[in-house]
Amino acid sequence: MVMGGKRVFVSGVGGELGTLVASLLEAEDWVGALSGIDADPPRRRIHRTTFHRIHPDEHDRIVETVVDFDPHVLVHVGVWEPDARAAPHLAATLTDQAATSIIGAAAECASLEHVVVRSGIEIYGRARHSLTRPDESAPLQPTSEWGHTVAAIERTAAQVGRRVGVTVGALRLAPVLGPHVPSPLGRLLRLPTVPFSVLADPPFAVVEDRDAARAFVAAARVGLAEPVNVVAPGAITALQAARRGRRIPVPLVGPEWRIVRTLSHLAGAPIPDHVAETLHRGRLADNGAMRSVLGVEPEATTTEVIDRLYHWPSIIRQPARVQVA
Amino acid sequence: MGRVIDLRVSDEPSGMVDDWGRDPGLVRAVMQLARLRWDVAVGGDQRLPRRKGALVVVNARRFALTPIFAAFAISEAVDRPVRFVGRPDTAPVGAFARRIGGLLEHPDEVRGALAADQLVVLGAEHSEFDVGRVDHAIVGAAVAAGVSVHPAATTSSPLMRAARVEIGTASRSPRKRRGPLTELELADRVRLDIATLIDELGELHTGTPLDWLPISGIGGG
Repeated sequence: MVMGGKRVFVSGVGGELGTLVASLLEAEDWVGALSGIDADPPRRRIHRTTFHRIHPDEHDRIVETVVDFDPHVLVHVGVWEPDARAAPHLAATLTDQAATSIIGAAAECASLEHVVVRSGIEIYGRARHSLTRPDESAPLQPTSEWGHTVAAIERTAAQVGRRVGVTVGALRLAPVLGPHVPSPLGRLLRLPTVPFSVLADPPFAVVEDRDAARAFVAAARVGLAEPVNVVAPGAITALQAARRGRRIPVPLVGPEWRIVRTLSHLAGAPIPDHVAETLHRGRLADNGAMRSVLGVEPEATTTEVIDRLYHWPSIIRQPARVQVA
Repeated sequence: MGRVIDLRVSDEPSGMVDDWGRDPGLVRAVMQLARLRWDVAVGGDQRLPRRKGALVVVNARRFALTPIFAAFAISEAVDRPVRFVGRPDTAPVGAFARRIGGLLEHPDEVRGALAADQLVVLGAEHSEFDVGRVDHAIVGAAVAAGVSVHPAATTSSPLMRAARVEIGTASRSPRKRRGPLTELELADRVRLDIATLIDELGELHTGTPLDWLPISGIGGG
């Protein structure tokens, strides 16, 4: 490598969040060479980042690519949320494969100093009597498949960090929403009719993709060595979201949720267990460490993100520059 | 702690919930209903910090919902959201209690709210003839968050509308301790301070046997 600055490797660079992280890292002074991998190509043009299209099950190619690059910093965004881009079982398999191969490969790199991994506030779980707004010191008691998946990522990264003596930071993201982010919660809220629990209608928080990406860049810059919740301030309930989006709220009590989940799946918006849990038990988290540890503050509140969710166009039609027919 | 969307109560928009799920519109509606039954006067509210968090401990009677109505009364007096400790975690009661400002009775939950500069009301344990025990674990949460703990006396009558919440100066532990004795001794001190405040108020009496019944609206001596 002839470039100055740190070598940063971004996994999951093909996803919307990974592409955003890479494009923000490209603008950082301290970043020298940038490289990234994913099973899909990046969602927008990235200028300085070298992209490698590798499937998570191609273990040898992943190891070879990462070890050849010999990064100082690994930003692991390559996780698959259930029913976002893959069905729950496949998502868990892909996430596990990617975490094992990429973090394992990074551990073989002599220059590695720091690892940042994507996690989620689902890691705290929503069992009875769990804290309404847990901070990073709250016990980890995941109660959904996605919660267990992100807990496994944190565990893997922490073990690698201890074995090779590098710092490991985890960003526990609230549900990420953005104009191009595949989010099961976002899809559900954009349906013409939005189901909500009439007995609870609990509050939840989200975060916009750009704020999440800024948190990743800050974590890589400061060498984050602890978990940090990345959550937009404020909260909203499903009923309030439906009203803001002028959707028809559908009150549900209990048994009919099973039918609604099936219908929602058929309508193209499957409701994985962590989203169902959000609608029944809520999902909030303390975001104090974002400012005190990372030095960033979300630009959009939860309510603003939800308002934007309803204004993002479904399909952007761009006419051809030259009409050929 | 995190940036909390924390407006003055009078400025809070309806149709939204705050960071803990409190619904200002619903709180205002319940306060209007409560006003039909009680006319609560709040004293000593100037002793509470203007922007920082604080724990207010009130005397309580069984089924009297004292912490809830004390939280409403203090909220109106200081024009800030005030939360109360002791919501269940089962729908629909728990969900409703969260909407009106309830927190779980868990030290970490209370510490999080106090550290985020929230005012929190805690009820002492129920006792018919005395101020009940104060939960030292919750007081410990206030110590951990570095906020003051204020005693408050509540009195009311089953036959009258008038009720009173009197907030005292912040209680202090009698000795400086390094360990958990701090919260134990502070909890005992708060209990004594509440009893003193009730004595100073001169308990409200109807002069009838009703005074012996635990049926008053928002607590009592």
